[in-house]
Amino acid sequence: MSAGREFLAGCRDEAPLLLGVAPFGMIYGIAALSAGVPAWLAQLASAVVFAGAAQLVIVQMLAAGAGALPIALTSGLLNLRHVLYSASIAEYVRHLPRRWRLLLAYLLTDEAYAVAVLRYQRREPAAVDAPDLRHWYFFGAGFTLWAGWQLSTAAGLLFGATIPAEWELDFAVPLTFIALLTLLLRERAGQAAALVAGLGALAFAALPYKLGLVAAILLGLLAGVWTLRRLERAG
Amino acid sequence: MSTSALLALLMVVGLLTFLYRYAMIGFFASRSLPAWLHALCRHIAPASFAALTASALFVSGGDVQFAFDSPRPWAALVAVIVAWRTRNVLATIAAGMAALYLLKLLF
Repeated sequence: MSAGREFLAGCRDEAPLLLGVAPFGMIYGIAALSAGVPAWLAQLASAVVFAGAAQLVIVQMLAAGAGALPIALTSGLLNLRHVLYSASIAEYVRHLPRRWRLLLAYLLTDEAYAVAVLRYQRREPAAVDAPDLRHWYFFGAGFTLWAGWQLSTAAGLLFGATIPAEWELDFAVPLTFIALLTLLLRERAGQAAALVAGLGALAFAALPYKLGLVAAILLGLLAGVWTLRRLERAG
Repeated sequence: MSTSALLALLMVVGLLTFLYRYAMIGFFASRSLPAWLHALCRHIAPASFAALTASALFVSGGDVQFAFDSPRPWAALVAVIVAWRTRNVLATIAAGMAALYLLKLLF
């Protein structure tokens, strides 16, 4: 396949995932406006940060009156998991020139990773001497998700400006956290981390600038690692 | 927070996120992820979402308030049940919002 056809194939295979992503972009846009973030800045954040969960966390903490340092620490911690995606895609892209690796790193989200890694693992009977152009496929998938995220943010910002506050659409953000949390609670250690972090958030609620959230998450991480160690020793 | 402080905050978070994404395909491309970091990364999302959910539902201006006479905690409970049963994110959000609107009529 040519570079252009790889790119378009990546776009086509990523497109169905936009159905799942677009509602979050809209919820983010609406919640950002109700937290008092200027629309241009909310849109810029979608381009600069380009990580849905972290953007929702930032908006949620802003609405609760958190300070800059706790917000940076919490979203910085939350995004640390991207190191995992980076590690798992490394074997496929480490041979590429630096400008390609910079571009693909910027576009590396769980949704783009999920599609691209399938392309990398698919065996093709093609000639061995044909150049490997699968990074164009990854680029197409990542670009499609990027464009979908920007457009759904914009839709949320346009739509959000017309929604009355009584609709309480900001409540969709904690509901999103509940849904994602439930999906993640399959392991014992993760359950321990969540339980301790949740209780910690209440115990440290009085700390200024919402620093209690950072303390709660760190304590939860310790609980998770400690539980994992104990389970490994026990069994 | 002022707009310029917020802009600076977003730039810092954006840069940090990019560095994470580039870390293992750029800076440490020839190495594998240490086991302890791998274990830590797996618990970040559950710990963060749990702390934020608890805070959003029960913390108001630095005080812990179990406001069971207001619709939000009950709507959240409905969302938890739907999330548990369906494992579907959009169904959870829809059920939670629907429960909120219904309960607002009752309270």
